[in-house]
Amino acid sequence: MRMLLLSLLGITTSFGDPLTFNTTPLGEKGGPIILRTFVPDPGLDPAVLTNHGKAFKSPKYNAGSGKDVKGEYKMMKVIPAAIAVNHGPALSYVWDTTECRLLYAWQGGFLDLYPYWGEEGRGGRRSFDYGSRLIGNLFYLAQPEKRAKPRFLGYDLSKSGVPTFCFQLGDQEFTEVILPGDEPLSFKIITDAKEKTIEGKLISKHQGFDRNLKIKSVSATAGEQVFGAYGCIACHSVDGSKGHGPSLKGLAGSTRPIEGGDPVLADSSYLKESLKVPNAKTAKGFPPGYMPPYQLQDKEIDSLVLYIQSLSK
Amino acid sequence: MKYLLLICALVAPLLAAPYQVEDIKFPAGVPPEVGAIDFAPDGTLFAVLRRGDVMRATPAKDVAKWEWELFATGFHNGCGIDAVSRDKVRVTQMADFTEATDTDKDGTADQYRIFASGWGLSGNYHETNTIADDGQGGYYIAIGTASHNGPTAEHTLGEYSKFGRRGRNFASVKWRGCTLHCDAKGNLTPFCYGFRMHNGIHRDSAGVLWCGDNQGDWRATTPLYHLEKGNFYGHPSALVWDESWPKDKDPLLTYRENLEAYNKHRTLPSVQVPHREMNRSAGEPYEIPANFPHFPGQMLLPDNNSKRITRIMLEKVNGKFQGACTHFLNGGGLRSGNHRIRFSPDGKQIYVGQTVRGWGKEAEGLQRITPLEAREPFDISAFKITPKGFKLTFTREPGAEILEKDLRFKSFTYQSKWTYGSPQENQKDHKITGLRKIGPKSIEVSLDQFKAGRVYQLDLEKLKSKDGSEIQNRLFYYTANEVPKS
Repeated sequence: MRMLLLSLLGITTSFGDPLTFNTTPLGEKGGPIILRTFVPDPGLDPAVLTNHGKAFKSPKYNAGSGKDVKGEYKMMKVIPAAIAVNHGPALSYVWDTTECRLLYAWQGGFLDLYPYWGEEGRGGRRSFDYGSRLIGNLFYLAQPEKRAKPRFLGYDLSKSGVPTFCFQLGDQEFTEVILPGDEPLSFKIITDAKEKTIEGKLISKHQGFDRNLKIKSVSATAGEQVFGAYGCIACHSVDGSKGHGPSLKGLAGSTRPIEGGDPVLADSSYLKESLKVPNAKTAKGFPPGYMPPYQLQDKEIDSLVLYIQSLSK
Repeated sequence: MKYLLLICALVAPLLAAPYQVEDIKFPAGVPPEVGAIDFAPDGTLFAVLRRGDVMRATPAKDVAKWEWELFATGFHNGCGIDAVSRDKVRVTQMADFTEATDTDKDGTADQYRIFASGWGLSGNYHETNTIADDGQGGYYIAIGTASHNGPTAEHTLGEYSKFGRRGRNFASVKWRGCTLHCDAKGNLTPFCYGFRMHNGIHRDSAGVLWCGDNQGDWRATTPLYHLEKGNFYGHPSALVWDESWPKDKDPLLTYRENLEAYNKHRTLPSVQVPHREMNRSAGEPYEIPANFPHFPGQMLLPDNNSKRITRIMLEKVNGKFQGACTHFLNGGGLRSGNHRIRFSPDGKQIYVGQTVRGWGKEAEGLQRITPLEAREPFDISAFKITPKGFKLTFTREPGAEILEKDLRFKSFTYQSKWTYGSPQENQKDHKITGLRKIGPKSIEVSLDQFKAGRVYQLDLEKLKSKDGSEIQNRLFYYTANEVPKS
C-alpha cells in the first residue's frame, strides 16, 4: 500500500538543507518542508477540535506577592501539536496529530516564525503572542465531521520528502497524502489510495508577522509595547519578583550595586547604556554576559527608558 | 572592545583551568540551539536542534574537520534524544516521543513513528521534555512545566486543569512537572511528581536515577534530586496529576499556606547547590565514567545560566544520598547555556550541548572539554561526613600540614516556598574542635554544634600541593540532610 503511494509520488530531489535563521522558510513543489511548531488557528470551527482539551481564562498571577491580581491571562489562538507542510508557493497545509486530519490549507507562502524564533543574535520571542503567522491566501478550512476516536501513528517520507500520514480512527488504520492541485486554490488528498481534488475559495489573505513596531512618538506606553515584543519579561519582572535579570520595578532612580565596580545611579544614561551595551556593567548578583544586545532603534530605547522610569513612580 | 576586556577580566578564573575547551561548529547559518546530544553505539554523534533538525557527524579529532549531515527534520523543540543506531534516533519533542528511522539507508530518516505519547501540551513555549534510558529498552521522561511569562492555547493537547494553571511555573495539562516511565513498548506511567523544570535526567552506572532543577518558585536553590517512584519533589503544580491528590484541592494554595504539611510531603534534594556561587540553573546531571582521568564516579551538573559546570561528590548516609559540590569548570572558555552532557565513547572527553534559545551566540552551541593532563588537578576529591564533621581527601599530598586557619566552616538552611528562590537562613559559623591527619592526603575535621538539616560551607585557604600546584577550588558546600550515627 505504502509502496504504491511512493511510486505514485515519484523520485525527485534529495532531502533539503537544514533550517537556518531565516524565519520564513519555504519548501519546493517536489521537496516539501515539514515543520512542527505552534501554528495559528485561522478561525476553525471549535467543533473541528473536539479531541483537544479546553483551556479557560485564568487570573493573572503576581510572582512578586505570590497572589492573583486583577485581570486574566488571554489565551493564544494556536494549535499545539500540528504538523505544517509547505510545497513552495503551490501549497501549504496544516495536518493535526490530535484530530488526525487536515485542518486548513493555503497558497502563496508558508509560515512566518519570527515571533517564535526571533532574530539571529538577539532572539526576541513575542511574550504572549509567539504563534507563527500564515503567509499567503487561505482557501480551505476543515468542517466538523463525525469521526471515530483518532490516534496518530506517524508518517513516512517519500524520496522527495512528501509525507504519508498514518493514523487510526477507532480500530481502523488509514494513510493520507496531500499534494498541490492542478488548479489554483485546490489540493489533492489521497486517503487510503483514493484520490480526491478539493477546490476551495479564497477565505483570507495573510502577510506574516508585522515585525515593525509602529512607534509614532516616544512614550512609556510605546516602551511597554517594546518590552512585550522582545520577550523582556522572561528575565525582568515589573512587579519586583526575582528572575534571571533584575526586576524593573523601582529600578530607575535607585542606586545599583555593580559586580566588580562602584555602585551607579540608575539615571537615564545608565538605563540607555544597559539597553545598548547590556554587559557594560553587570548588576550585582546576576551573571555577566547574559543579556544579548538587542540592537534597538533610538525610539524604542527612549520609549523603554520612559517605561522603566514609569515603574518607579 | 573595552567592555569585552572588562567582562573577560571579571569572569576569568583566578587559576588556569585544567581543561581545553573547543567549539564544535555547525554548518554556516544553522542555528546551533542544541536541544540534546547522544552518541550512537558506532560512535556517531547526533544533535537535535531546537527548530527541528537532527544533525549527525562522526567526531573528528580536529574540530575544524567535523562534517555534519542532516539526518532528520520536523521536530518541535526536541530536548531529549536517544541515538539507537546510526540509522535510528528517538526524540522527545513538545507533543510526543517520536522515532525516526532511515529504512532505505540513503542517509536520511524516512519513517517517523510515535514511540510514545500521552502527555499534554498547552501551547506554552516552556514545555520541553527530555529522557534517560531505563536500561531495559524503555525510558524515564522529564516533562517540563509551562511559564507564566507565556500563555496557553485555547485548545490544548490533552485534558486541562484549572488548578494546574496556577502560579509562576504551572502544569495545566497532563503530567507536566512529572517524571514518567515509558516501557520498551511506549506505555507511559507517572513515576514521580513535583518538578519545576527538570531539564535533564540521568541514570547512573548503578541504575540510580537523578535530575536537577532550576532555582525558582518552590526551589530555594538549584537542587540535585535522587528520583524514586511515587515521591513528591516539592513543586506543587504537578500534584494535580497525582491520582492520590484530592481533585478539588488547589495544591499551590494549599502549600503556600501550610509549609509544615509541605515539608512533610516533599522529598528533599540530595544536594542543594547554592545558585549564585555554584549553579544557577541545572542541566542534565551526568556521571563521570571510569575512563575519564579526573574524578571518575562523581557527577557533573552543567549550569544553564552561567559559564560553569558543577562537580558533585555523593555518598549514602543513613540509607539516603547526599553530598558536596564545587566547580568542575568555571569559565576557561566555556559558554553559558550548558544543559546536556555526553562523554566520548572512549570516556576521555566531554561534550556539552548549550542553548538558552535565541539569546545570541553566547549561550548556544556545542563544546568539547579535554583534560590538559591525565593527572587530576590539586583539589578535594572526596568530601565525606562523619558523626562530628567531615573527612576530606585531596587528590595530591598537600605541601604543608593543614592547620585550623586553612579551613573555615559555616552553615545555613534553605526553606523552599512560593518565592523565586529562598535566602540562606540561620547562618552559623562553626569552630573547629578537632583536626587530624588520617593519611598522606586525608584529614578529619570535627566541628562545634554539628547537626543534620543544614548546608555546610567550606572556605579553603590558598593551599599548595607538595609539588607546588595551587588548589583548584576553594569553595565547597555539603548538604547534610543526615548525619551518620557512627
